[in-house]
Amino acid sequence: MLGFAAKRLLLLLPVFFAVSLIIFLIVHLVPGDPIDNLIRIGATPQQRAELAAKYGLDKPLFEQYFLWLANLFKGDLGDAIVVRRPVATLIAQNLPYSLTLGSLALLFSTFVGVSAGATAAVHRDSLVDRGIMGLVLLGSTIPGFWIGLLLILAFAVQLGWFPVSGARGWSSLVLPVLTIGLGGTALIARVTRVAMIDISQKDFILLLHAKGLPNWRIQIFHILRHALIPVITVLALRIGWILGGAVTVEFVFARPGLGTLLIKALNQRDYPLVQGCLLMLAIAVMLGTLIGDLLQAAMDPRSRDALKS
Amino acid sequence: MNYIRKTLNSTASLALVGGLSFALAPAAFAQEATFVIASSAVGAPSYYPVKATMLNVSNYLIYDRLIEQDEKQQFHPHLAESWDAAPDGMSWVFKLRQGVKFHDGEPFNAQTIVDWLALFQGTENQFMIDAIDKIEMVDDHTVKLLMKQPDPNLLFNFSSSFMGVPSPKAVKELGDDYGITTAVGTGPYKLESFAVGQETVLTRNDDYTWGSELSQNQGPAKIQTLTMREIPEQSTAFLELKTGGIDLLYDVPTDFLPQIKATPNLETLSLPGLVVMYMPINTSVEPFTDVRVREATALAVNQKEILDNIYKGVGAEAHNFLISSLAEANVDPKYNISYDPAKANTLLDEAGWTMGPDGVRQKDGKPLSVTLWTQGDTEFKRVSEAVQAQLKAIGMQAEITVYDSSTIRDLYKKNQHQLAVRSYDWANADILDWFFSGKRLGYPNISMWNDPKSEELNQKAMTGSRTWEERVANFKTYHEHILSQWLFAPIYQPVQNISYNKDKLRVPAEIRGPGLRGQTILDMEVME
Repeated sequence: MLGFAAKRLLLLLPVFFAVSLIIFLIVHLVPGDPIDNLIRIGATPQQRAELAAKYGLDKPLFEQYFLWLANLFKGDLGDAIVVRRPVATLIAQNLPYSLTLGSLALLFSTFVGVSAGATAAVHRDSLVDRGIMGLVLLGSTIPGFWIGLLLILAFAVQLGWFPVSGARGWSSLVLPVLTIGLGGTALIARVTRVAMIDISQKDFILLLHAKGLPNWRIQIFHILRHALIPVITVLALRIGWILGGAVTVEFVFARPGLGTLLIKALNQRDYPLVQGCLLMLAIAVMLGTLIGDLLQAAMDPRSRDALKS
Repeated sequence: MNYIRKTLNSTASLALVGGLSFALAPAAFAQEATFVIASSAVGAPSYYPVKATMLNVSNYLIYDRLIEQDEKQQFHPHLAESWDAAPDGMSWVFKLRQGVKFHDGEPFNAQTIVDWLALFQGTENQFMIDAIDKIEMVDDHTVKLLMKQPDPNLLFNFSSSFMGVPSPKAVKELGDDYGITTAVGTGPYKLESFAVGQETVLTRNDDYTWGSELSQNQGPAKIQTLTMREIPEQSTAFLELKTGGIDLLYDVPTDFLPQIKATPNLETLSLPGLVVMYMPINTSVEPFTDVRVREATALAVNQKEILDNIYKGVGAEAHNFLISSLAEANVDPKYNISYDPAKANTLLDEAGWTMGPDGVRQKDGKPLSVTLWTQGDTEFKRVSEAVQAQLKAIGMQAEITVYDSSTIRDLYKKNQHQLAVRSYDWANADILDWFFSGKRLGYPNISMWNDPKSEELNQKAMTGSRTWEERVANFKTYHEHILSQWLFAPIYQPVQNISYNKDKLRVPAEIRGPGLRGQTILDMEVME
């Protein structure tokens, strides 16, 4: 198992290089540059050129990339040009907010998604099944920022139960968690439902029914248990998605976090900061995939063999 | 309900951070207020004005300036009690206010000015003091500035937020951390905490007794703790105000005003705006190399229709390039640009553009079809659509393309544009130099205007004035020349809308300054 994990980890290295290059090129090839956000009305064209030189933006693109990469391996993400702080510090300050929000949203979508999927599977093809899956689908198709505004109007403006925005205490987490969580529920519910239906048709389940075990026991301890293998894989893959999915939601709820940081940096074309944030999101996706592979391999040796080959 | 909720929230935060008990939470309403700053100022990275290129309103509260401006852009003494310029403009004597102390207890005096101005060397803001050659200390509270060339705009610079006076000693001690972890000024508020992009907490400077003549209250401020929150999404900020989560909101979009009017505890102040929305015309590309086509394009824009239909009458029509409170905006009326479709049609006929059967003019078989660039904000898109319809009425077909603000600036430099709808925010006539100087073609000189006469007038206005009055006259002449060349179409001047909870805050009826800044906040109080 250890050897398998090491192999998977090594495989991430070329992916990391490819991702870093793509991120760098996307950021630098999009029109606009941070210097326009640094100069004030009245500054001379010469001052503009001096600033470009100061931040190394006058160097050829490949040279800028290799400099960034070399610093990256020294653990230095560079300094944000417009915000004028180390990128690592900015990410360290904001990441805990995103992780808290993302983890809680993942927990919420897991609990609701698995419950909804299991209920739908148990009542397969009934009105309950269609009702649950319809609702779940609706929740996943409405954009996050729109759900966010609706939740604010209902629970903050009309009922006054939660604050509209900010990051002050647990009450301010409820609406953003619901916004992200609702969006992620559909996939988990669908995977749970399909997996449970699939397992319920296996011979060993028929045998359990024939042995006279209570239905609830079969559903929970045998069908759901086996059905959770693909669900866990999907959950691991969603770790990166959850961080990325928080981007617009953090903005709507005026919460600190990687998303808020990224949006501002993108608007200002603050290259080192955009690169740092995107790299964090990419690493989260890569780690999520790795964890998913490892969990699947641990739970199901057949998949380990398949992945090895 | 709101009170209970706020109390519970603050209690929860306190308990979380410091482990304090629930019982400590009440009494939070005693002279504490939460403001939300303008969305355009969200993300200002530091409170070190010397090196900053973006600052928010808190900077006005942490630092005082030598000079203050009122709402008519007139200058008033503050840390400088008085000033005198030599008739040739080659020297200035500033008498400084006595008894002023920084938040760290250091005295404010002539040495402060010498040390502070030295900090500008090599920074992005050095251009503000470039005309100063030497500084002499006449006595402990008098400085004499010897100039390389006359610069009456020094008065404007000294009243700028970027020339709030920091404690040179604190700057030296803190190095790169200055303005991020600590900021030390002489202003009515001290920096308690600062989370970039989130909030700034300010506490009252109890020693403050040197408010300017623009404040009724000379200090200390009445509000003890001010939390300045940053909320980028305007709808969210508005809902915070509506639910009592905040007490005052800067920069309220016109769309929200009817809802604010309908809310009994909310009041809105409208201050003269510092923004002009306009449509630059690229003079270097066809068909706008022909001045008649430029004039026709500018005359096709119906300012009143846009003001009435898009802004519901809130704000003012723009008829030249400068905000109307500037003396340089008061040009000879014949230069002002106003809607005149009949003349626009005549000019296009004269230029050889004949009306086609599809309502689009043609010349040599080519349709009068142009591009109209704009930014992604809803407001810009709406105005662009209105302008597009107005241009269609004179037979010009405009195709709108939407870009984000950074992309559009880069594309201007590539000179691929023809028309654009944009705005600027600046309260000085030197904006004419910024947008029309031949030294800055592409961006910011989007009109790609570069002719000897303009450059000569620009030079005279920028560096050839000895006194403020002379500068105003020179800029007025330059402004009139720019207007005569039809380089843009003026569209709209918004007002600054500031909404607040009138059950909680007592706000002076008269705002004394170009915006709601320190001089008015000193007079504000929380009603018990």
